[in-house]
Amino acid sequence: MLPLHSNSLARRPFASPLPLPPASLPSPRETHIWYVVPDELKDASLLYQYMELLSPCERQSVLRMNGERLQKGALLARALVRTTLARYTDGRLSPKSFKFQKNRFGKPEVEWDKYDLWAPPPLQFNISHTSTMIACGVTLDLPIGIDIEEKQRKTSNNILSLAHRYFSPVEVAYLKTLADPECRQSEFIRLWTLKEAYVKALGRGFSGTPFKDFTIRLEASNSKQVTGELKSDAPSIVVEAVDDPGILMNRWQFALFELNNSHYTAVCMERDVKNPADGENNSLKLEVWRTLPFVEDECVTETDAVKNIIR
Amino acid sequence: MRKRGTPPNRALRARRPPEISPTVRSLPLAFSLSSDRSMASISGTVTATSVRPRLTSRAPVVKGFSGLKSVSFSIQRNGFPSVRLQAAPRRLRFQVSCAAKPETVQKVCEIVKKQLALSDDTPVSGESKFSTLGADSLDTVEIVMGLEEAFGISVEEESAQSITTVQDAADLIEKLVEAKSS
Repeated sequence: MLPLHSNSLARRPFASPLPLPPASLPSPRETHIWYVVPDELKDASLLYQYMELLSPCERQSVLRMNGERLQKGALLARALVRTTLARYTDGRLSPKSFKFQKNRFGKPEVEWDKYDLWAPPPLQFNISHTSTMIACGVTLDLPIGIDIEEKQRKTSNNILSLAHRYFSPVEVAYLKTLADPECRQSEFIRLWTLKEAYVKALGRGFSGTPFKDFTIRLEASNSKQVTGELKSDAPSIVVEAVDDPGILMNRWQFALFELNNSHYTAVCMERDVKNPADGENNSLKLEVWRTLPFVEDECVTETDAVKNIIR
Repeated sequence: MRKRGTPPNRALRARRPPEISPTVRSLPLAFSLSSDRSMASISGTVTATSVRPRLTSRAPVVKGFSGLKSVSFSIQRNGFPSVRLQAAPRRLRFQVSCAAKPETVQKVCEIVKKQLALSDDTPVSGESKFSTLGADSLDTVEIVMGLEEAFGISVEEESAQSITTVQDAADLIEKLVEAKSS
């Protein structure tokens, strides 16, 4: 029985969840990523604990999902967002206390209460999920988008048909240069995650920012960016409008990598112009944790769980 | 299986047995990872299985402004007409639109199930929202392309964005097919 009713006779008693270890706030150029692998959740009582964190509205949404697997995924996603954000409040806010609103394009964001003696950190977040992983990215006061896709994801339609329909001409041309079908498949997926991350960072989502209108590609090194800073030697990921090629939209920086050996992950974050970088390295920094909220957190930043990073 | 009743309105009588697709709302689940699945109740609502036979002919459905409840007439199993309130769609619309044929809805369900790799016994009906079926944006574009291929139509991006349910897709398909043939 699921003890959602407070006076339900079937309420299963459980110990209060372990407090979440506090986390240091992301620095201006950092994205923090917390991810959950649903299959790692073996203890059913945890699902009850997570359910307790949700607002009534969120619970309804979870239960509208079609089938137990999707419901579990939706529940974990909300629990991940709430517990992740709570970590950055130094114990002052519980996961349950967060409220959310949508921006005018429908992007979810935190609705902060006003407190007398404490200013909550201006956290921004974004989540993405597949059936086998849910990831939440957090920044300090900078718009962020994140998208994950299973590396093995196959498409029903032909890659070039999809690309012709949804990608920009430059991107289609790039995919055409890849003769190996598997390579083309994986590059398509990686490009898709980058484009998704970008539109999610913009806050307008897939429907608000047609994929065809912008190109994401690698820009060769040693070019002087609009900011006037020399980039490091490695090529970097850039975005430009199809109507305005050559003018890079420098406001946005990217990272593309493999997570947990199972997922391509793309992060897009607004560049912090208030805090210009000292030295040369202006690129997006990542800190990554694998988590099972209330059970286990593991920092995997410098491990094999995060690899093949392109920025 | 079809109950023999006499529908009062001949125009709505089925030419063949109506497809009764049960609209099963997600019953509150027991989150158990074992095989024991007992029903739980959520504070407030326990919804029941309702059976809503599809209108087999093109019965006009009047939809009002968003925020107003609209009314549709549907025939229940025992043949008595009933007034069923349904919430008006969120987008502002005041038009008489025809609900798509059940065959179209059925075909859309098949394509959606295939794309999302849902099992045959997963309940998918006109009311099913793509998002609650677990479709992400890549799934949605693949579904649209699959529908285009199956029905020989071309869906514009603006129209594609407004599709959120199976019924939306079916209605749009029929509109496009009709426009094509006229």
